[in-house]
Amino acid sequence: MADFTLTATPPLAGYNRSFGSVSLKAPANLAIVSIALPLGGEAEAEKAIKSAFGIDLPEIGLFNAAQGETSMLMRLGSDLAFVLFPCETPDAEPRVAKKLKGAAYTTDQTDVWCALEISGTGSLAALERICMLDLHPDAFKVNAVARTVMEHMGAIIARTGEDTYLLLSASSSAKSFLHAIELSIENTA
Amino acid sequence: MTQINRLGGGLVNQGQTLSFTFNGKQMQGHPGDTLASALLANGQLLVGRSFKYHRPRGIFTAGSEEPNALVHLRSGAHQEPNTRATVAELFDGLTATSQNHRGSLEFDLMATTDLLAPFLSAGFYYKTFMWPRAFWEKLYEPAIRMSAGLGRLSMQEDPDTYDKGYLHCDLLVIGAGPAGLGAALAAARSGARVILADEDFAPGGRLNAETLEIDGMAGRDWAAATIAELAAMDNVRLMTRTTVYGAYDHGTYGALERCTDHLANSGGKPRQILWRIYSKRAVLAAGATERPIAFGNNDRPGIMLAGAVRTYVNRYGVTPGQRMAVFTNNDDGWRTAADLAAKGVEVCAIIDTRDAPAVCDVPGARHIRNAGVVNTVGRKALRAITLTDGQVIPCDGLAVSGGWNPNVHLTCHQRGRPEWNESISAFVPAGDLPPGMAVAGAANGALTLGAALEQGRNVANAQIEDLGFTPSRDTPPRAEDEPHTGAPVWHIAASTKRAWLDLQNDVTVKDVKQSYREGFRSVEHMKRYTTLGMATDQGKTANIPALAIMAECTGKTIPETGTTMFRPPYTPVPLGALAGRARGREFRPYRLTPSHEWAKANGATFVEVGNWLRAQWFVRPGEKGWRDSVDREALQTRQTVGICDVTTLGKIDVQGRDAAAFLNKIYANGFAKLAVGRVRYGIMLREDGICYDDGTTARMSENHYVMTTTTANAVLVYRRMEFARQCLWPDMDVHLISTTDGWAQFAVAGPNSRKLLQKVVDPDHDLSNEGFPFMACGEVTVCGGTPARLFRISFSGEMAFEIAVPARYGNAMMGVLMEAGREFNAVPYGTEALGVMRIEKGHAAGNELDGRTTAYNLGLGRMVSSAKDCIGNTLSRRPEMNLPDAVKLVGFRPVDRTKKLIAGAHFISEGKEATMANDEGWISSVAYSPTLGHSIGLGFIKSGDTRIGEVVRAVSPVHKTEMRVEIVSPHFIDPEGERLRG
Repeated sequence: MADFTLTATPPLAGYNRSFGSVSLKAPANLAIVSIALPLGGEAEAEKAIKSAFGIDLPEIGLFNAAQGETSMLMRLGSDLAFVLFPCETPDAEPRVAKKLKGAAYTTDQTDVWCALEISGTGSLAALERICMLDLHPDAFKVNAVARTVMEHMGAIIARTGEDTYLLLSASSSAKSFLHAIELSIENTA
Repeated sequence: MTQINRLGGGLVNQGQTLSFTFNGKQMQGHPGDTLASALLANGQLLVGRSFKYHRPRGIFTAGSEEPNALVHLRSGAHQEPNTRATVAELFDGLTATSQNHRGSLEFDLMATTDLLAPFLSAGFYYKTFMWPRAFWEKLYEPAIRMSAGLGRLSMQEDPDTYDKGYLHCDLLVIGAGPAGLGAALAAARSGARVILADEDFAPGGRLNAETLEIDGMAGRDWAAATIAELAAMDNVRLMTRTTVYGAYDHGTYGALERCTDHLANSGGKPRQILWRIYSKRAVLAAGATERPIAFGNNDRPGIMLAGAVRTYVNRYGVTPGQRMAVFTNNDDGWRTAADLAAKGVEVCAIIDTRDAPAVCDVPGARHIRNAGVVNTVGRKALRAITLTDGQVIPCDGLAVSGGWNPNVHLTCHQRGRPEWNESISAFVPAGDLPPGMAVAGAANGALTLGAALEQGRNVANAQIEDLGFTPSRDTPPRAEDEPHTGAPVWHIAASTKRAWLDLQNDVTVKDVKQSYREGFRSVEHMKRYTTLGMATDQGKTANIPALAIMAECTGKTIPETGTTMFRPPYTPVPLGALAGRARGREFRPYRLTPSHEWAKANGATFVEVGNWLRAQWFVRPGEKGWRDSVDREALQTRQTVGICDVTTLGKIDVQGRDAAAFLNKIYANGFAKLAVGRVRYGIMLREDGICYDDGTTARMSENHYVMTTTTANAVLVYRRMEFARQCLWPDMDVHLISTTDGWAQFAVAGPNSRKLLQKVVDPDHDLSNEGFPFMACGEVTVCGGTPARLFRISFSGEMAFEIAVPARYGNAMMGVLMEAGREFNAVPYGTEALGVMRIEKGHAAGNELDGRTTAYNLGLGRMVSSAKDCIGNTLSRRPEMNLPDAVKLVGFRPVDRTKKLIAGAHFISEGKEATMANDEGWISSVAYSPTLGHSIGLGFIKSGDTRIGEVVRAVSPVHKTEMRVEIVSPHFIDPEGERLRG
């Protein structure tokens, strides 16, 4: 058998650009696994999640991050959460499934999404151009997460810091998404 | 030219000079000027020609209601027509040209139209150009369009950029005049999040134009101080040059911000931004618009609204004329005279329609009581006015005041109807305002300064209290209420000359009366018959006087006569701003397949499929056209092996204890008993029994399924399944998540597909026909451990697999598959060859699932299980959908094999006329089959399955062709399915 090797080329790999008061980068090796809570088994699932990640499953619209850890747990719906963590290999889902020991359903979402982190004092002004949600610090506090649409593309936005937001959108339209964010920054810079 | 009409003072910076040109003539102005104020300062009274009669026209107002002073602003591709000079901020290097004349502005050849006016009254073209009918499009309309109209487009692509955005607030304050500033200040001090938007570049509204005082300060100084306080507050967003143009549902407002229109160069930034403002509450403080009085030849350059004259004098330090007269029916007109006189401008006469004493002392002015203006003299500039008593007063400027109309427009955007207020003879907001909106100040009929301030504050406080804020206890600003009484006078009946109501559309009092005489008496009919209130100003200065005249004609009151409906936008919004950034390549998002880069490097031609760009075919050297490529790809796939990126097919991960039962309800055919490790083809029905999608679902484990949908319906299927899960069967433990983008999936089809995959899939996986038979599925690893999914399914009819790897490896995987396939002469194929092969195999696709066809039509009727409850099976059993002569999916080939079938052609039996009544069906898909060497097609024909071998006519009236075709099995190749099971 011939020796074939597969090289990973995620759509925004290595992207990192500064625009003055705003920085935009694609986090490297960010794995995403969805966790669905079985109907009637929510309590057990929540317990398993706490035990697996050391943090509680947050309320809908929030994410929790373990202190000092790089993983975060986003609650996107009554029965849906995403866990995000650094992982270089394509085995994120089995890793999570193993930790949850069958208490929840898991699906690998790593390659479904592209991720961009926008940070800096101009982030909010840039996001006003494409995000229809109210991102005022009083309305969208640190640790808030929401599903929305940006430039006709489905997106998830999480406020990870005072001026830092993590944005997720479909990986197939990553170039359009990047263009939309870059243009918003350029137009407001 | 020097600025002969420039006075001292105002809010312009006379220490700095700006140069601009009008019709190529060099002129000068100052920062703070509008183009209109600068033109007036330079003595340029004539600025354009009227829409219909090419009458010389000047500047009529000082704001966004301007009907006359429309110009082309800027030049070349940047040129914008119909720009109101009254709101165009002056900048150094501005170029403007006048509109709607042939020859020069001064000597417009089309001015002869005015001589034909007796023949061109309202509605003339409805009556005049009726015959011959063919002339309308070819002759009459082009001729009318050439002679009438507004500005012209540059006919070049707009080089400016535009953007849009979203804002949120507790309170949106629309208008930064006294009421708006008072409202914003009260709300902001309470801690509410406030957006204050004003269309002007200098907020303050009428305070900038008047000499009134607030708290002992000049009004304009109070405005500046208030603006400074608001600007320093974190909870306030001050938006100047921003017009809130529409009130939409749920407190949402549209606003246009003009970011760089006041700059010579946009510096690469968006020229304008279209904002969507989400407000919890809103205060409309849009002020009021002065209305004219109609009298003979009241449209000459030099005749202007009285409030506008005050604006030019007080704000811009400019007088419209050196010898001014004032014509008024109310106290407000007197202030114009007083302010002119205070600036040293000669006021020769104040003509008041009322028989009342002087409102104030105006040095040097004659007070003429109980009188009116009946005519004016001066073609390109006013020279004199004639009064009702016949006396002629020489003057070069006339200020006209007929009272003020509250700007109620936004209160009507959700069909609110204003009501008549007798005390100010104007419509005021009433009835159902847009939810969350309250109105304050002049927009609400509070036409005096003290009342406007107080109302702004009180209304804002009520609004924010409603939201739970506590109003601040600071001392409210105070001002006196200036005299403002008046008696309504709409037109001077003694005038025998044409008296203009709508300056923009050249509609006169006579036109409205004619509309009445000819039966167009509803204001909506009158508007359309006369064209009153149309175009860029939407009749802001014309509508009320016109409907007052209609009321006179009908003998009804004005409120009985009613108003026309105001709709967004309040002022014009450029199409460029509506398009925003969605232009060219970025018109909409595009999706790329994981192997896009490989395809691009290997000669792919791409086709848009929904938002996806898919490889349509791959051109090889020597191929002269697309058919060469497609034929080669299809043949080579059937002969050896072909590879196609099929990632675009929707993939839905279905998990849960009830997943099997759920899928059994979603699909029309049975899924309850699908074994782990197996794939099944399924069809989905709408509730009405129409088949809307098909695809395969693989059972990966006991409670885990992977569904594929068609590319086009991926979102639809997901949405319908979510609806079913959440609303129809919430008691089921089922969880859905899309993985379409997560897996790069490739069809590997052809007799050598297994051999190829055996080189890529890690050797511990058995791909033999026994170990991995047709319709098997499983998790495998490839290339030394990379996780993958393998499905033994076939769209081409060949032995085929689909292999999926995490999308990040997709591009590499395509290269690996091609490399592994080199020894088999493997070929990449695109969507066109995919389509050819599926037609050869007789598989239905989007052309067949067109929203009209049932499983019965598709020849899949037996798949619809009657032994279970699933979406659509009940209504699919309706007798009308199961008639024996229903159309059935069959194959077609031309009797003369050299001919090409045409998709969309309809079937008519031989010997029958090609009419709708004889229509028996249609061809849905056609292709040239390189395997068979002739054109083939799929289509639907009545009782098709029982008519195999019959010859019918395929008629295409669109193409004006017809041919004889033979009805055949839809399975052109391998009808027994031996290849795919091999």
